[in-house]
Amino acid sequence: MKLLGIGCVGLLLAAAALGAQAQSHDALPDWSGVWQMQGGTVFDRATVKGEGGALAHGVREQPPYNAEWQAIYERNLKLRDADRLPDPINTCGTPAGFPRIMNLPDTYEFVVRPEQTWILTENGPNTMRIYTDGRQHPAPQDRWPTYTGDSVGHWEGDTLVFDTVSTRMSHYPESGDTVLDRTGLVLSDAAHVVTRLRRLNDETMEARMVIEDSKAFTAPWNVTKTYRKLPKGTRVYDYACAENNRNPVDAATGKTLLLGPDGKPLGK
Amino acid sequence: MRSVIVGVIVACGVLAASPALVAHHAGTMFNEDETKELVGTVKEFQFTNPHSWIQVVVQATPGAQPQEWSVEWGSPNQLSRQGIRPSTFASGTKVTMRVHPMRDGSAAGIFIAAKLDDGKTIGRWE
Repeated sequence: MKLLGIGCVGLLLAAAALGAQAQSHDALPDWSGVWQMQGGTVFDRATVKGEGGALAHGVREQPPYNAEWQAIYERNLKLRDADRLPDPINTCGTPAGFPRIMNLPDTYEFVVRPEQTWILTENGPNTMRIYTDGRQHPAPQDRWPTYTGDSVGHWEGDTLVFDTVSTRMSHYPESGDTVLDRTGLVLSDAAHVVTRLRRLNDETMEARMVIEDSKAFTAPWNVTKTYRKLPKGTRVYDYACAENNRNPVDAATGKTLLLGPDGKPLGK
Repeated sequence: MRSVIVGVIVACGVLAASPALVAHHAGTMFNEDETKELVGTVKEFQFTNPHSWIQVVVQATPGAQPQEWSVEWGSPNQLSRQGIRPSTFASGTKVTMRVHPMRDGSAAGIFIAAKLDDGKTIGRWE
C-alpha cells in the first residue's frame, strides 16, 4: 500500500511537470513576422576589440578561453587575416549549426507551437527544432553530434528557456571544431548552451545564451543577440548557396577563390 | 598603361560598409583601403545566390582590348529588400562603378556604388 502511494505521488509529480511545459496555443506568445539580427555577424559584440566587423583585420572577441583554446583562436585569426580560414559555411552544403544559427545575416522566423518551437533562417537555410513537449535529451549513449545539436525547452512565462547539447564538431580541419563566426571563434564538442529567448518589445527579439565548455573555457560565456522586426509583408526567399557559388574554397590551401566569368579562378 | 580605371580613390571607413553584404565568405581578398572607379557597359547581371555578380566590360581607350570585370554584390534576398531588381543593371547599360578591388590586381572587386547615364545612383555614391 505504501509503495502504491509513493508510486501515485510520483505519477502526479511527473504529470504536473509535463503539464507545466505543455502550453496551449492560446498561452503562447506572438513571435510572428520576419526578423533580422542586429549588427554584423561578430558573435559577441560586447567583447569586441578593434574596429569593424568579423571580416576586418584586427577585430577579435574575448571569450573566456583557456590557454590551449586561446591559441587555437589566435591561429584562426591569423588564418582569417590571410584569407585562409576554411570556414565550413563556405561549402554551401552544411548547416550553420548551433549557436552560429543565432548569428546569421538575412532573415529569421520564430515559429511557436505547443510541442516545438522552430527557428528558421533564410541564410543557409537552417532549421532548428526546440522540443517543448516535456521530453528530455536522449541518454548520452543514444545521441550523436549534429550541427544543431539536441534542444529541449520549457516556457517561463513568455520566455522560452532551452538547453542544447550534442553539437557536432564540424569538418573544420586540424581542430575539428564548430566555427561560430568569421573571426574564427570555435567551441569544442563539450559545449552546453542554455538559451533564454523572448520578445523584448514589439520590435525586438532577444536571445540570451550562457555557453559552458569544459574543454575550451575557464568560465561560462554570456552572449546576447537581438533581432529587429522587419516591415509587415516582408518576404523570405530561397538562399540556394550552391546556385552560383563563385567563391569556392581551394581544398589544398584553404584559400577562398573568386571565379571569373569562365568559371576559372582569378588571381595568382 | 592608362586603364579603364579612371581614378583611384582612397576609401574611407564609411565606404567599407559594402563587404558586410558578403556573408558567405571572408572579404579579405578585397582591398577595403582602395576604391577603383570603372567606366564601362554592363554585360550581365547575375541576380543569384549566394552573391550577385555584375559583369562589366570596360575599355581604357578607343581601340584598346576590352576587359571584363566581375563585381561581387549581396544576395538577391538582401538586395531585393533594398529595392534592387534583376532589371537594375540591364545588359548594355552604360555605367560608372566604384568597387574595392582584389588585392592581387585581378579584374574583380566588391560593389560600393554605381552611377547610370541618366544620373541615377545606386549604393553609397557620395
